[in-house]
Amino acid sequence: MVLCTEPFKVTARNIAGVLGLPDYPFLLVQHPIGSCTLPELKARAEVAYRQALPILLQD
Amino acid sequence: MQLYAPTSTTPKRKAFRAPALASLQGTRIGILENGKLNAEEMLGEVAQLFVQRHGCTVRTLASKSNASAPAPGNILVKVAQEVDFLLTGLGD
Amino acid sequence: MPGALSRIHEVPDDLLAAIDYCYEQGWTDGLPVVPPVVDRVKAMLEGDSRPAETVIASHPATGLELSLHAAAVNAVMAGCLPEYFAVLVAAFEAMDRPDFNFHGSTASTGGSAPLLVVSGPYADDIGMNADVNLFGPGNRANATIGRAVRLILRNVFQMIPGISDKSTQGNPGKYSFCIAERARGNPWPLLCEEQGYPTGVSSVTVFAGGGFCNVENHGGNEPEQILGSVADAMANYGCITLGQSVVILAPEHMRIVGDAGWVREDVQHFLFSHAKRTVEGMKGVGKYRDREYDRQHGEGAHALVEPGFVHRGLSPDDILITMGGGDAGGHSCFIPSWSRGRGSIMQHSPVGMRVDRAQK
Repeated sequence: MVLCTEPFKVTARNIAGVLGLPDYPFLLVQHPIGSCTLPELKARAEVAYRQALPILLQD
Repeated sequence: MQLYAPTSTTPKRKAFRAPALASLQGTRIGILENGKLNAEEMLGEVAQLFVQRHGCTVRTLASKSNASAPAPGNILVKVAQEVDFLLTGLGD
Repeated sequence: MPGALSRIHEVPDDLLAAIDYCYEQGWTDGLPVVPPVVDRVKAMLEGDSRPAETVIASHPATGLELSLHAAAVNAVMAGCLPEYFAVLVAAFEAMDRPDFNFHGSTASTGGSAPLLVVSGPYADDIGMNADVNLFGPGNRANATIGRAVRLILRNVFQMIPGISDKSTQGNPGKYSFCIAERARGNPWPLLCEEQGYPTGVSSVTVFAGGGFCNVENHGGNEPEQILGSVADAMANYGCITLGQSVVILAPEHMRIVGDAGWVREDVQHFLFSHAKRTVEGMKGVGKYRDREYDRQHGEGAHALVEPGFVHRGLSPDDILITMGGGDAGGHSCFIPSWSRGRGSIMQHSPVGMRVDRAQK
């Protein structure tokens, strides 16, 4: 599961395509992460978790 | 006029996704953090939600010494053998 | 594995239409390019005796490969003459080394551009500029070799601004960032000699340059005064990291340093000792990291590292310093590495000599 922030969505899609998986699903969260407080990280984690569930189970 | 294309002629790659998990219950999670600020913390928080809600375990935490270089092959091989899915990050 | 030759595009026999075609294909850096016609590419390839399909660099993340042929196509587009090709090839052979990490330095929000410093007689042979307006504009060799680097990164390695090149603000050096080291009046051995190449062999050094800082000092007349201002530039809060540095001393400044008998090592030691900030200061701007302090001060720390301070770089050897620019003007420069840690280390390669990738 690859997590990235919104501004890097296009980068992630590009590299996925080059590596042969153009539809690879990423976990997308709000930017930035580096300067986040713990509550902000937890909120982003919840968003990522909800996106991850159907991907892992390929629902 | 004939112009050469300035692009690479390396053949396009093909890859495939790992098969779906039948269930998340008790699965083993790996974390590969890229050394960026809060990367380990962010991925750790995501992993903890799986631990709390599905009884998953965090089996391994690996680190890339260089955020912008691919993870060394030996790290990926080792981690792949020990976990059911891996959490990692891309970009900042 | 050898690459295949590039695809041919048939376009109407109209130069201006061909220039527009190159724009439409997304092959340019924003400026018009020289359409890469077949004959010009063939002429460019005569600068290297290896087969055109020879791969000289590959992208560590995507596996996209740069062949001599593709390098020649982009060199034509940049406006290079065939005699410049050997420098471009040597530059990519150096950039191909994992420690340079050309992917990271290009893709990063940090916005670095590969700086090329050509040292030795080859620079004069092909008419490069080491003098007035060192960093441009005006010299065809400097401008087009640097430009070809960018076109290759974009066209071959698909490092496209906004997509796979996420530089927050970019960098003018991303158009072209290529200079020659000045030999005339230089009191020190040239870089190619310091790097251990045989007499007569020139080199190109590649460095992931994060920006350009002009260091002006017209009043200082002692080495400590001139270099004190350079060290201060190196330690500015916006730049100070464990990364490497390039310092190009103007001839006016080098004369002060050289006349006082300072050799390169003396200057590197002075700069490393003085380019530093207190730990409190670093914490005050949110840039202090325990991990980085421990790395600089822990086992193997250089003897000049001072407790309570964060120095720029890990050792004096992290500072590449030489001379360049016109005879008049107290304007030297400092160029920080993109890499805040050790994610990109400067590399060098001989010009005009074959490099066996299998041995790298």
